[in-house]
Amino acid sequence: MKWIHMYALLVRASIRSRMQYKFNFWFSSIMAAIINVVEFLMLAVILLKFGHIKGWSLAEAGYLYAVLSLSKALYRMFASDVHHLEKYLVTGSLDSLLLRPVPVLLALMSQNFSIKFGELIQGIAILAFSMGTMMQTGQITWTALPLTVIVILSGSVLLFAIGLLTATAGFWITRIEELQNITEDAARTAAQYPMSIYPKWLQGLLISVIPVGFANYMPSLYILRHEAGIWLVGLSILVALALFTIALRAWKIGLARYQSTGS
Amino acid sequence: MITVTELHKQFRRAAPKEGPFKGLRSLFSRDYQVKEAVCGISFQIEPGEFVGYIGPNGAGKSTTIKMLSGILHPTSGEVRIFDRSPHQERRLVTKRLGVLFGQRTQLWWDLPTRDSYDILAAMYGMDAAKKRTRLGQLRELLALDEFLDTPVRQLSLGQRMRADIAAALLHDPDILFLDEPTIGLDVIAKRNIRQFLKDINLNLGKTIMLTTHDMDDIEQLCSRVIVINHGRLGFDGTIDDLRRRIGLPTIIRVTYNKAESMEHEVPAPLRCHSRAGRTLTVECNREQLSAMEALRLLEQFGELEDVHMEEPNFEDIIHRVY
Repeated sequence: MKWIHMYALLVRASIRSRMQYKFNFWFSSIMAAIINVVEFLMLAVILLKFGHIKGWSLAEAGYLYAVLSLSKALYRMFASDVHHLEKYLVTGSLDSLLLRPVPVLLALMSQNFSIKFGELIQGIAILAFSMGTMMQTGQITWTALPLTVIVILSGSVLLFAIGLLTATAGFWITRIEELQNITEDAARTAAQYPMSIYPKWLQGLLISVIPVGFANYMPSLYILRHEAGIWLVGLSILVALALFTIALRAWKIGLARYQSTGS
Repeated sequence: MITVTELHKQFRRAAPKEGPFKGLRSLFSRDYQVKEAVCGISFQIEPGEFVGYIGPNGAGKSTTIKMLSGILHPTSGEVRIFDRSPHQERRLVTKRLGVLFGQRTQLWWDLPTRDSYDILAAMYGMDAAKKRTRLGQLRELLALDEFLDTPVRQLSLGQRMRADIAAALLHDPDILFLDEPTIGLDVIAKRNIRQFLKDINLNLGKTIMLTTHDMDDIEQLCSRVIVINHGRLGFDGTIDDLRRRIGLPTIIRVTYNKAESMEHEVPAPLRCHSRAGRTLTVECNREQLSAMEALRLLEQFGELEDVHMEEPNFEDIIHRVY
């Protein structure tokens, strides 16, 4: 409770800092939204032209896309600078976070907080459209709604864990941008689409090595398709929590290796 | 209060390669060069001490301070502060430390200075009343009022340093680590900050460890000096000990009334430095001979018209230790 309060306070400071540069604040928020819309439009064009991808309808693909982008928006909103740890390692600015009697990860998460309006609104819109369509055809019922919320939350923990593990590698290798391209960006982009379009080895990769498939595809198999059982949702949560625990342990070890910079 | 035992810190970096394809080869190499930034340092600091921690650039001063304040983990050796490890129990220890890095502000760059204090107070779990009294004291002592509502990025260096010192002191820590608190400041700002540090050490009993390249800081403030060079402890003692250890001579310049008085050998243990007209300059080791005795020795050759004495410059002393 104390730490949530602390986090909220730091986030407020972070927002006030960013509001000092109002143009940049609004411009970056709007640009991020536009990029997302364009991305989804490309997916929509393909689906509208062919009707489905490997047996996944427009509504289903939209659901997968929306769930993942909402998870990502939450992760990037509440833990923005975990993704930018490299900057702290290279400049040595992690020093000032380590000086304070506050968990370093918490302090890091609160830096450069930004509300991802664009991604949230767009994600919710696509999700509403997709779920509405599927409810009309009777493919899913209202029970899918709470499950979806759970999946989005668990997915954001999973993405956070993957991001944190990747960032932690920076304590050993310093520069992590390229690694992030693979573990965060490429893997997530791949998981935006129904995984059945990929060859088996890539599918395997996306549910084991970089288990981003558990953020949307795996639980959706149950929620949308009623395959397997509700344990698929449970497993997804478990994978997220397990990876998060591992990431926290690695983070602790990594912090002890922090080298700072000369001054 | 602070106990440092056999502290080592090594930084590893990839060994540079020579010859053809050196860039490519260094990519695949697993050779590392080990740089010993701090090498087997031990010392103890008692409550109320004012310790100057000095050494040339790259000697390992900042690395030591960062290990003491829990930022860096030592390769081996141990730091105990209030009998706790700042690495295993970082949050508990940092709560009672005030740390200042003169080169880099700890304040929120884009926010008004006042906001930084609000955030810090919350971080250290201070309630509103305590924060108000503390900040009230510091505002007066460090004259913060003129810039409390200015964003930190617009402060002058002198103002920023005052603001940073206030930030380090806000939570009323028992120990202060100050890494170059007077760097880049003008004479007046330096004097004010020194006076302030002296006050909080003497009157409030704060234990202070300070690194600096300004020998006046050391001479005016520190009861004890620790010298570090190439990561090793070079000296640990009082300033007078340091002077004595180096044994730099006091320079005595006397002018005789009559030129004849110059026609004599300089008696031991004084050593002749130079002669010019009626003025004789000698070097005197104060360990062997007091100034009065030296003058009496010189007086036997004739009446003195003028005497001038120069204590060895502290900076010269430090040069010898490095």
